[in-house]
Amino acid sequence: MDDAMIIKDVNKSYGHGVGRVHVLKDVSFSAALGELNLVLGPSGSGKSTFLTIAGGLQTPDTGQVIIDGQDINKLSHQQKEHLRLDKIGFVLQSYNLLPYLTVQDQFKLVDRVKKAGNLSAGQLDQLLEQLEIKKLVNQYPSELSGGQNQRVAIARALYTDPQVVLADEPTASLDSNLVKVVGQLFQDLAKQNNKAVVVVTHDLRLKQFADRIWDLSDGKLTQE
Amino acid sequence: MFLALKEIQHEKLRYGLITLMFILISYLIMILMGMMLGLAHENTAAIDSWGTQTVFLSKNSNDSLSQSLISQEKRPNYRPDHMATIGVAPAVAKQGKDKENVQFVGLNRNEFIFRDKLQLTAGRKAQNNREVVTDQSLKNKGFKIGDQLRLNSQGPKLKIVGFVKNAQLSVAPVVYGSLTSWRQLRSVQPNIVGSALISDQAMSTATAPKLQHYTVKQFVNKLPGYSAQNTTFTFMIGFLMIISLVIIAVFLYILTIQKLPHFAVLRAQGIPAKNLISSTIYQSLLLVAVGAAGGILLTLLTKQVLPEGLPMEINWLAIAGLSLALLVLGIIGALLPVRVIAKIDPVAALNQ
Repeated sequence: MDDAMIIKDVNKSYGHGVGRVHVLKDVSFSAALGELNLVLGPSGSGKSTFLTIAGGLQTPDTGQVIIDGQDINKLSHQQKEHLRLDKIGFVLQSYNLLPYLTVQDQFKLVDRVKKAGNLSAGQLDQLLEQLEIKKLVNQYPSELSGGQNQRVAIARALYTDPQVVLADEPTASLDSNLVKVVGQLFQDLAKQNNKAVVVVTHDLRLKQFADRIWDLSDGKLTQE
Repeated sequence: MFLALKEIQHEKLRYGLITLMFILISYLIMILMGMMLGLAHENTAAIDSWGTQTVFLSKNSNDSLSQSLISQEKRPNYRPDHMATIGVAPAVAKQGKDKENVQFVGLNRNEFIFRDKLQLTAGRKAQNNREVVTDQSLKNKGFKIGDQLRLNSQGPKLKIVGFVKNAQLSVAPVVYGSLTSWRQLRSVQPNIVGSALISDQAMSTATAPKLQHYTVKQFVNKLPGYSAQNTTFTFMIGFLMIISLVIIAVFLYILTIQKLPHFAVLRAQGIPAKNLISSTIYQSLLLVAVGAAGGILLTLLTKQVLPEGLPMEINWLAIAGLSLALLVLGIIGALLPVRVIAKIDPVAALNQ
């Protein structure tokens, strides 16, 4: 399988002198299209730092992050913004939905910023149907349940047709039934939509859906 | 623009209250401006209605129209088409039980002010020294055509034959009569011909070298209380504008700060900062523009219901200027948090 994302020998530290904390230590990682990668780790293990570096939101001290053949650390600020908009779909803990936009307006907002390369109306319909949220297009996020919001957030992340989907604790506030639904969704996303899906979580209930499981502890990433 | 409108549409109560505040701020500024202009108008309406460009007073009048006395010897020869002698005296007009403080202005019937500048709204012009026309505000206070006015207790008795508009001087209604009546009222020497020479053309000092020369602007600023009153109002409006800027800026800043978590998410998703900044500025401008429009509407409504005696002038140029100033304040207020938006750390979106 083709690697959509490669992380090579990444190190990241915060602070100076005696207060310096080495959060990521020689981290290497790859995620292929059609594959669901699960990065597990307890709180404070560096999961969020890993995700922000993988998504181009932070720059590592050393090492490379390669997405679509480009070392993103060599890109300008604007180029990184374009890359995040075009190639990366974020699914955040807070569902990354604007409270004052209806479900369909969340997609319209993307259309206004990224004029081409988004899903067509037909493809979006199909995706919404697949996620079972087609009837909710005129609802505001506050009118939806946690699970429905999570699925809208996934649809929003996929609308730009990204190669890589990065999810941060997507099941943090969900009960066991919904964890299964969301886990299945991410698996389908990888398989049916041919995306490289990276889920960062401490929720072990998601393990059954993953193709590869990584363990991040004390800044070191190892594949199970 | 999309984000700005959608947010306003969804958060109707919040943005309704903020808009209401902006409306009240612009209303307060506009109503004060209207009153300032109204008072200024009541000071100078008559002078403006004559198309005055140049004024000559006697040299020892200490810039006071009512204290100026021009003698026959000092008055130059002039063409009555563009220059007129006027005699001004404050007086109390009595008719039955009605009493009113007025400014009596004596005119020559063959000179341009009497001939061309009196704006009759009812009746006719005076035809002899015993007839007068008055400002129409006296009509609203119960004076009628045909009434006999007594000016001061010992002054002449004069018949009202017409009403004119824009006839106010030093915040008092004008009674236009003859210079003969004025001489009688002031009890001046026979060689005194009037208080001032008025011209509707720009003239030099050389026109009347024995008299004190004023441009209309200089003259108006010397009217008792005029300059102090306008300066006071101008300072009030100026301070109000500065306070409004602070209030508007603080509100827009708080609004933006409240939106930072959402902006962080959007930045994480690759939405460029310039889109968020332009949306914020557009939203601020929209709120301030609606505020200014609401303020104009309320000012117009207030003008309709204000009692007659309360001076208020609607000047569209001043309103346009004020609205523009409010929009500029809105832009300044919206620009303050721009740096905050530009510096949003999208990593914050992951920590929410």
